[in-house]
Amino acid sequence: MSSLLVHIAITDGKIKRSALEVLSRSREVASANGLSLEAVIIDADAASFADDVSKYGASKIYTVSNPAFKNALNTPVIEALSKVIEMANPKLVTLASTEATKDVVGAVGAKMDAAVIPDVATFDLADGVVKTTRPVMAAKVMAKAESSADTVLVTVRSGSYDVSESPAEAEVVNVDFDFDEGGLRQVLKEVLSSSGDKVDLSEAEIVVAGGRGLKDENGKKLLEDLADVLGAAVGASRAITESGMFPATLQIGQTGKVVSPQLYFAVGLSGAIQHVAGMSNSKVIVAINKDPDAPIFQYATYGLVGDLFKILPLLIEEIKKIKAA
Amino acid sequence: MKFFACIKQVPDVYAPFQLKDGDLVLDTDRMMLNAYDASAVEEALVLSEKHGGDVEVVLIGPDKAKETIRKALAMGAAKGHHIHVDDTSGLDSAAFAKILTAFFKTVEFDIIAVGKQSQDTDAGLTGAMLAQDLDLPYAANAVGLEINDNKLEVKRQADTAQEVIALPTPCLVTCSNDMNEPRIPSLKGIMTSKRKPVDVKTLEDLGLNLDDLKTNVAKTSVTGYEPVPERAPGKKFEADPEELVSTLSDLLQNEAKVL
Repeated sequence: MSSLLVHIAITDGKIKRSALEVLSRSREVASANGLSLEAVIIDADAASFADDVSKYGASKIYTVSNPAFKNALNTPVIEALSKVIEMANPKLVTLASTEATKDVVGAVGAKMDAAVIPDVATFDLADGVVKTTRPVMAAKVMAKAESSADTVLVTVRSGSYDVSESPAEAEVVNVDFDFDEGGLRQVLKEVLSSSGDKVDLSEAEIVVAGGRGLKDENGKKLLEDLADVLGAAVGASRAITESGMFPATLQIGQTGKVVSPQLYFAVGLSGAIQHVAGMSNSKVIVAINKDPDAPIFQYATYGLVGDLFKILPLLIEEIKKIKAA
Repeated sequence: MKFFACIKQVPDVYAPFQLKDGDLVLDTDRMMLNAYDASAVEEALVLSEKHGGDVEVVLIGPDKAKETIRKALAMGAAKGHHIHVDDTSGLDSAAFAKILTAFFKTVEFDIIAVGKQSQDTDAGLTGAMLAQDLDLPYAANAVGLEINDNKLEVKRQADTAQEVIALPTPCLVTCSNDMNEPRIPSLKGIMTSKRKPVDVKTLEDLGLNLDDLKTNVAKTSVTGYEPVPERAPGKKFEADPEELVSTLSDLLQNEAKVL
């Protein structure tokens, strides 16, 4: 029986929610096509995640553990994923779209002579053809991209599907993976952690994002205070990461992170299409802007037209009251 | 050091367009240098100015794409390479990578810089595929480049942190547009660009065949376009700040139930 192989992205010792979204959707696609649902975990300590993954219905879980994966270099991951693809011989390989997977899928596709369709919003399989939709042209339109190749790799934007459990008895396969780190051509010299990342932006349930309207340190402080009372992650538009007010790791949009929280606050942020491309999958969007014609209001579930410097202090107090109740 | 930047001509993605029978029809035929590639050219120019060497650019496309090569030459690149393909429809990232692989086997280079993705398709695959096909070490999503001890040090944006990765040459790097502000060509740059050499090659010159690339190398295709799914219409309020906050608080708790 042919298979559908799901890559389980791990970041900072946790399974990414977006990987579980992909796994949940993949279970439906596998079942509709009579494929066995299999998963692959590539991490310094991969086996420790197998139990959690089995809650989502994979019948076989490949774990590839090696200290080489600690160093955030692409070569060992490319080798490991290619090896498991060779073992599992899947029709379809699905991955959550993250910087880490973006770093390797092109190379794995080239190495394994497989098709790659990146950053899709939807995917399906019918009669051996993988069909997807993906935003293109600055996310203003969806392209229907497809492939009938023997093996197709698809990376999926976060927030595209809901997570659902379906526990199954899984066979765990610990894959032998020797890797000579001494033979690596790249060297990781330094990891610069960003001060702003208190809550991982791409995984956060609530995101509070600011734009040019924050103006200065006062505006920044208000935004961070709002994030604090909500337990939210802070995000930013390209305009204010470029100005240096926030680190580039917090940039949301077409060239930054794609987020899909339950609740998204867009504060003093006009809603340029490049930004919207990174947040339009959010469940509830609250926009606060003094310009009633700001494009962000077209996307907002709730739009407040007004001065953020007056609204935020009241909102922070209001949320404190709700949390205390 | 010998730098190469791979560049692509893309339509103006901010121009208005219509969907006609599932096809995308742009209101303009204006074409541009892909912004991410412009950052790759800029960064290569800065490094060559600092450490010596020069920058050449390579582009796959029809006659009209020559203007985009001229743009890079006007920015300061020394030479252009035009791989002439009249109609690139039906070619995907894998096919472009195959063409570039054949090209790079005909030239000497130390560092290949490419945009991390192209503005029209946002796929971001060609760089990694090219590196794999050429068996080069590479780093993706660079936001800063330095050369130290003959190694390329790439500061790259990862998921939650930035990493600095040193690559021996020859190597490949894919560039974010967050790394620099590409220079606007000066009048002098534009004048001298007209005298700079552009070497034109066909696919046959590289031992390739368009039909073979379309049927055997390209593995994905775009069959049409559809509108972005619309969000349900929202509610917009204009009132004094106290009323706005109490309205929002009520809606978030009782309607959306997210607080």
